[in-house]
Amino acid sequence: MSTQLLNVSALSAGTEDKPILHGVDLAVGEGECHVLMGPNGAGKSTLGHVIMGDPAYRVTAGSISFAGEDVTELSADKRSLAGIFLSYQAPVEVPGVPLYSFLRSICQMRPELKTTARKFRQRVGEIADQLELDQGFLMRELNVGFSGGEKKKIEMLQLLLLQPKLAILDETDSGLDVDALGIVSRGIQAYREQVGGALIVITHNTRILERLDVDRTHVMVKGRMVAEGPAELIADIDARGFERFERGAGQDEAACVDCPGCPKAGDAQ
Amino acid sequence: MAEKNLAPEAGAEGELTLERVNVAPAQTWNRLRTNDITLTVPVRGRKGDVYFSLPRLFEGVECGMGGAVTDWVESQARGARYVEVPRDEKREEPIVVAVGSGDVADTGVMVRAGAEATIVVAAGDLTKVTGSSVRSGTSASLLRVIVEAGARVHLHEYVRVGSDQQHLESVGISAARDARVDVHQYLLGGGTVALGLACDLAGERARVDLGCRYHAGGTEVLDINEVVRQRGRNTRSELSYNGVLEDAAKKGLRTTIDLVHGAKGAQGNEAETVLVLGDDVVNKTLPTILCDEDDVAGNHGATIGSVSPEQLAYLADRGLSRADAEQLFVSALYEDALMHAPCPEARLLIGDSPQLTETFDEVEEA
Repeated sequence: MSTQLLNVSALSAGTEDKPILHGVDLAVGEGECHVLMGPNGAGKSTLGHVIMGDPAYRVTAGSISFAGEDVTELSADKRSLAGIFLSYQAPVEVPGVPLYSFLRSICQMRPELKTTARKFRQRVGEIADQLELDQGFLMRELNVGFSGGEKKKIEMLQLLLLQPKLAILDETDSGLDVDALGIVSRGIQAYREQVGGALIVITHNTRILERLDVDRTHVMVKGRMVAEGPAELIADIDARGFERFERGAGQDEAACVDCPGCPKAGDAQ
Repeated sequence: MAEKNLAPEAGAEGELTLERVNVAPAQTWNRLRTNDITLTVPVRGRKGDVYFSLPRLFEGVECGMGGAVTDWVESQARGARYVEVPRDEKREEPIVVAVGSGDVADTGVMVRAGAEATIVVAAGDLTKVTGSSVRSGTSASLLRVIVEAGARVHLHEYVRVGSDQQHLESVGISAARDARVDVHQYLLGGGTVALGLACDLAGERARVDLGCRYHAGGTEVLDINEVVRQRGRNTRSELSYNGVLEDAAKKGLRTTIDLVHGAKGAQGNEAETVLVLGDDVVNKTLPTILCDEDDVAGNHGATIGSVSPEQLAYLADRGLSRADAEQLFVSALYEDALMHAPCPEARLLIGDSPQLTETFDEVEEA
């Protein structure tokens, strides 16, 4: 059993006016690979954002600890510096900031990644080549005018550059063609091999998991963790869908007493 | 050669008020205080000085800051510099106009048909280049460029003067048939920086692409007036402005795309993005599209605001606090200027900026 890295305990959270997560538990050990699955609107992305500290969500109960520290009240930038990384499903465009300047700045924030400009350029160039990303993109504005696939590659570029202890990949495979999916998968594999970091992969598509050794699979429905199992659970879900989990979650709705102010299980929409 | 004929007497120092300069062709209500700027400039008696003047052809080139500034610069410059790029020649070495503190430069460039040239105006503390020890006062550059048919001009303007200094930059460009001009402006601070550019797309299919990036902080004043007159058929102008204003900086931007009668098929686009990071910033913009022809297209768009919550959240997820994120927008601007600097003079201006996170100095690193 590996040392525990992330521990989400009885976590309830939502937006100002709507509860989304209800008593969620999730434990991830160092270097482990976890897969989070569930139907649309189950709250998977919300959980990723809440772990990251997105101020759009409010934690109403429970706690999040990372590397032995309670980070429930920590701001997102501090969680990032502590070693948590969230790859966006739809990366935000930032006009006025060239990608290269952005990458340089986020590395400069981390003492362990500080290096000379020459070495940094070399490192970024190597990763860009690895991801088959045109180095001319480095001079373009961050995520502005990039295709969906290019944006995902830029997320992977950041992942490999920052080398976080925990990476949460929020549907990184969505909108990718077969070739791009292969490149991104290799990027994730490289992260596992080079950094040895832990992964939480949020996905609907099992193809991205083909190159990964999955340790645990979690199923989320209507803001609750409803099942947990070994890697084999993925194939089972692939074959049979989420229906049985949704039926089970429906029976539990009346018993939703652990979330203050929550009349019943919510959804992420 | 000619003789300067100016008041005050030779050697005497004085001041001159240039009232309502940098004026847009079409104006708005005066109470909005955005039509022009009034500047006080020093006048040094130059009577009896002998100087070179530009060929009279340049007198017909309209300059962005207006006739009063042109007259003042011509009277104060030590001499005019004339550069001609011969027909069909691609000049590799940039034509550099280095304007140190207190300097006044008057430059005319003739780019003959089919030729290509790069012009760089670098204004600021250039003591490492010029050896000048003057660090305050008023500096100015007057640049007139005639671009003949099919010629190409790359104009880079780098301005970074001290917070106790004033800089005037007036540019006039005349572009003939099929001429192409690209302008890259980096206005990176100064007590008062006033820049005017007028570009006359006189010939058919002439084109200008202008990108202006600026930063002003503290109590700095930045005043920009840019006019593109599209007289030729199927001419094209693309104007893009992107800047960051901090603290109590004041910025006025007047852009005019003038689609003149007869310019059938002409297109002009102008877009501005301003990031306002200070509560006391004054940001004024007067975009104008004048149209006296049917078959033309002119567009204007502006985005003014602070860093959006979505952007802040994304940047926070990468380890940047709000202050870090805002500073990123400023440092990115300086890094962009440094990375695109076409000559050592321009690099020197930016290289020691505190806003930079690194120097990009290969030699220093090695």
